Amino acid sequence: MSRTIIKMRNIVKRYYIGQPNELEILHGMDIDIHEGEFVAIVGASGSGKSTLMNIIGALDKPTEGVYYLDDTDISKLNDKQLSDIRNKKIGFVFQTFNLISRQNALKNVELPMLYGGMSRKDRSKRAMELLKLVEMEDRYTHQPNELSGGQKQRVAIARAMANDPAIILADEPTGALDSKTGHLVMDIFHKLHKQEGKTIVLITHSPELASETERIITISDGMIISDSANPDAGKDIDLSDIDDFETDENGMQILPVGDDPMKNMQVLMKGGIRVTGEEDHR
Amino acid sequence: MSFWENIKMALGAIKSNKMRSLLTMLGIIIGISAVITITTLGNTLKSTFNNAMSLTGSSNLIMAQLYPNDGDYDIDIDISDYITMDMVEEFMDKYPGKFYFGSDTSAGEGTLINSKNNTVNVSILGGAEGTFDSYAIKMLYGRKVTFRDSLESRHTCVVSDVFVEQYFKNKEEPIGKQISVTVNESLPVDFTIIGVYKYNEMIMGNSGGVKREDLKTNLIIPYSVALEVNNRYRDDLFYSVIFSFDKSLTPEEATSTLEDFFSEKYEYNKNWGVKVVTNEQLMSVMSTAINIVTVIISVIAALSLIVGGVGVMNIMLVSVTERTREIGIRKALGAKKKTIKGQFVTEAIIICLIGGIIGILLGLLNGELVAIIANKIVASQPDYADLLGNVKVSPPVGGIIISLIFSTLTGVFFGLYPASKAAKMNPIDALRYD
Repeated sequence: MSRTIIKMRNIVKRYYIGQPNELEILHGMDIDIHEGEFVAIVGASGSGKSTLMNIIGALDKPTEGVYYLDDTDISKLNDKQLSDIRNKKIGFVFQTFNLISRQNALKNVELPMLYGGMSRKDRSKRAMELLKLVEMEDRYTHQPNELSGGQKQRVAIARAMANDPAIILADEPTGALDSKTGHLVMDIFHKLHKQEGKTIVLITHSPELASETERIITISDGMIISDSANPDAGKDIDLSDIDDFETDENGMQILPVGDDPMKNMQVLMKGGIRVTGEEDHR
Repeated sequence: MSFWENIKMALGAIKSNKMRSLLTMLGIIIGISAVITITTLGNTLKSTFNNAMSLTGSSNLIMAQLYPNDGDYDIDIDISDYITMDMVEEFMDKYPGKFYFGSDTSAGEGTLINSKNNTVNVSILGGAEGTFDSYAIKMLYGRKVTFRDSLESRHTCVVSDVFVEQYFKNKEEPIGKQISVTVNESLPVDFTIIGVYKYNEMIMGNSGGVKREDLKTNLIIPYSVALEVNNRYRDDLFYSVIFSFDKSLTPEEATSTLEDFFSEKYEYNKNWGVKVVTNEQLMSVMSTAINIVTVIISVIAALSLIVGGVGVMNIMLVSVTERTREIGIRKALGAKKKTIKGQFVTEAIIICLIGGIIGILLGLLNGELVAIIANKIVASQPDYADLLGNVKVSPPVGGIIISLIFSTLTGVFFGLYPASKAAKMNPIDALRYD
C-alpha cells in the first residue's frame, strides 16, 4: 500500500467547551487516506462534514485526537505553522470558487506561491503551466468577473495546485455549477488524479458526485457510518432499487447500513434518516 | 512576502475604490496642504523681509519716529511738533562719532552730457554717511557725502562705478571732477565727485533687461543740497529720522541714548513724543508674528490630521469588514497573521502618504499663487519695490519632510487597529462570511 497522507485517530470536535451549551460535533473519527487516492466524504448537511473538512484543511484544530498530514502532527501546531501547512500541503477548492475579485486569473493562481515566498519569475511561470493544465492559459489576464462559473472553478483548481500540495481538498466543487460544467470540472479532478497522481479529498452531499470516486466515506451525525471502496466508480447510480425502507415509530424511514457504499448513499439521499445498527449516541 | 508586493496589493485595493480612497484622503490632504501653505508663506515672508532688512543694512540702524502720547494717530500734527534738522544737528554734536545721519530724500531725476556728447541719466538721492549703511552701499574709493557736507550745503556727490563707465568711459580719474547735472529738466547744477561706490543690482532695484551702459544709477548728494535743488528748504522737518550707530554701541545703548535725547526735547509736548525702534526689533517683531501664525496653523493642521486619521481608520474598518471573505481566502491559501496585518497597514499608510503628497503639492501651489499676488502688490508700490525686490517662494524642505513622516505615522497609527482586527479573523468564519 502506498504512503498514508492523512491519518486521523479518534478526532473529536467540541464547541462552547465548558459552557451549558457545549456541543460535540465530531464523536471520534478514524480516517486513513493514502497517497494518490480519490476519496469522497459524503454526508447530509449537519452531519459534521464541514467541521471535518475544516480540520482536514488545517483551518481548525481537533479538540481531541491526533491528525497526521503528510507525517506532520497538525493538532500540535501553532497558528503560524498552520498557515504554512495550508500554504504548502493543502490545496483548497471551494464551492463558491473564492477567487480574489480584484486580481486576474494569473495573479490568483500566483497567490499561494507569493505567500510561500517563491520568486516573481518562478511564480508566473508555474502559474502559466497550471493554467495550461486546466486549459485556461488564454484567459490568464481575465478578471474573475469576466469568467464563467466553470472557468472560475478551473482557475481555482489551478490555484489549489500552486504549491504542489499533498492533498487537494474540494468542498462541493460543483455545487454552484450546472450539471454540464460540473462534469467538466469533475473531469479536471479525474485528470489531476490520473495524470498527476494527486491525492484528492472531495467533500459533498451529493451521492452522484461521490459515485465518481474510488472510495466513499459516509458520515452522519459526526460518525463514520461507512468507508469502503467503490468498485462502480464512474458508473451512473440507479435510485430505483431502493425500496426496502422500513418506517420507525416516528414515521422515519430506516434502512440498515450495509457494505455497499452506493446503497448507503442512496439511503442518505432519500433523506432525513437515522441509521439502524448504531447506538443512539445522544 | 516582499515590501513591493505589499505596496502593489495596497495600490490595487485603493484603485478599486477610487472615490472612497480620495474622500478618505481628504482630511489628510487638507491638513498637510494647510501646513505646507503656511510654512511656505512664513518662509517666503521671512526671507523677503530678511532680504529687505539686510539690504537696508546692517543691524546698526535705528529710527526715531513721532509717536502720539495716547497712541491715537488721528491727532493733528502741528508744524512745531516735527523733529527738526536743528535737533538732529544738536544730537550729532552731542555724540560725535557715535551716530550717523541716515535719512534720505529723493531730489528727482538728473541728466548729464559728457565730452563725447553722450547722455547719461541718474536718479538723485540726498543723504549722509548713514544713508550708505541703510542702503548697504559699498564704497570703492574716495569718501562718502557727510552730514557736514549737508550742513554746509557743499555740492559734493558720490557716483556709481557704472556711472564712471558711462560718463568717463573709464578713461579719466573721476575724483575731483566737476559734473553738471540738469535736475528735473530745469537748470543745471554743478557737483564735485568725491567718491565712487559699487553698483549693486539687488539693492538698486530692477534692471531687468537693461544694458549696463543704459542703467540709471543713483547720484548721492548731501541731504540739504537735495532739498535745495528742489526748492524744498522747508522740508528739513522729519516725521522720522534714521541713524546708523557706531559698532561700539549696543542696540540697547543706542536706543536709550536716542530716547533720552528726544524725551528731553519733547518733555513739554502734550500730544507727541518720540518712539525709537531698531532694525533688529522690527525684524524680531516680524518673525515673532510669523512664528505665532505658523504655530496656530500647525495646531489646526494637526487637528485636521487627527480627524483625517480617524477617517482613515473608519474606512479601513469598513474595508476590513467588507473584505472579510477575501481575508478568509487569503488565510486559507496560507497567508500568515503578519502578512494580513502588513497588507492592511500598508494600505492605510499608502492612503495617508498619497494624501500627504497631494497635500504638499497643493500647499506648494498655494504658496506659489500667493507669491504671484505678493509680487503684483509689491510692483504696485514703487516706493517699496526696490526694497523688497522680487518675492521668491522658498519651499519649506523641512516642512515637506516632516509632512511625509507625519502622514506615514498617521497611516501606521490609525491603520494598526483595523489591520490587527483583520489579522485576528478566524479563517473559517471569514470564509463563511457573506
